[in-house]
Amino acid sequence: MINFRDDVLPLKNRLYRLALRITLDTLDAEDIVQETLVRVWNMREDFEKIDSIEAFSLTICRNLALDHISRKESQNEQLDESYDATPDIASTPLQALLLEDKRSWVMKLFNKLPEKQKSVMQLRDIEGKSYREIAQVLGFTEEQVKVTLFRARQYIRQEFEKIDNYGL
Amino acid sequence: MDYKYIEQLLERYWQCQTSVQEERILRDFFSQKEVPTHLQRYCALFALEKDEEELHLGADFDRKVLSRIEEPVVKARRNTIHFRLAPFYRAAAIVAVVLCLGLAAQHSFQNDTQKPGVSYNYAGYQDTYSDPQVALDQVSSALKTVSHGLRESGLHNVDSALVDGSNDDKM
Repeated sequence: MINFRDDVLPLKNRLYRLALRITLDTLDAEDIVQETLVRVWNMREDFEKIDSIEAFSLTICRNLALDHISRKESQNEQLDESYDATPDIASTPLQALLLEDKRSWVMKLFNKLPEKQKSVMQLRDIEGKSYREIAQVLGFTEEQVKVTLFRARQYIRQEFEKIDNYGL
Repeated sequence: MDYKYIEQLLERYWQCQTSVQEERILRDFFSQKEVPTHLQRYCALFALEKDEEELHLGADFDRKVLSRIEEPVVKARRNTIHFRLAPFYRAAAIVAVVLCLGLAAQHSFQNDTQKPGVSYNYAGYQDTYSDPQVALDQVSSALKTVSHGLRESGLHNVDSALVDGSNDDKM
């Protein structure tokens, strides 16, 4: 028997981190988590039919976050998988390192990823989810999850190699 | 110290061939204080998880959510069958009153038009018979009938009184 207070509410931090990863705004992320939890609560009659309440909540959270950014970006440039995300943190990684702390540089790299790669990497590298669980949340196949994660990691690796090329 | 295993794991990490457990080993390794120089640059990448742990929502958030989902409970009041039927009772009473008034009004109008009651206006009386002799005979006959009737009843009363009186004597 799934209990909202004991089983759903404690997911708030995971939901918050995912929403924040997508929206990059703490207030928006908090609102999205709140809305997610209310929606999950409204579906409490169907809790028994839900395979994983965590995956279910994460899916709702991601969809709400995507709706949110699509509304926000409707007047701006579209971000999708084909979009070649180029970090504008500085003209070169070397300068970036001079300007910023390494951790925030990595965080910025992470945040510059396309949404799907960002969400997959968030669920894998931050939340420690299996490919199967990530596939369930995002509605992907496990293979798609793996390919998306591969692209994300390759991008991060290339950025690290750029630092190597600059002699660091 | 040989870091070949870590370097292999790292290579497999980039290729997405590591398991969740192996990635945990990498995170644990890079969170150590002493990481070889050539691997130090990856510390920031594997510290992401720890940095993210600091992101959390407090008790205030819980209160906000719970206040949104726990709407004020309306206490159910038990209504008796009589209480629920009260409007019908009222309607029935009003209909009954209107019907009574209507019937009464109708009845009184009909009496006025079709069956005039006993008139006490003696001046308005008209003669029933044209011949006075016939009228006198009729009145005499009627009075005789009344007289006979009275006598009959009077005798009966006297007889019964006598019977009652004899009974009293016996007692």
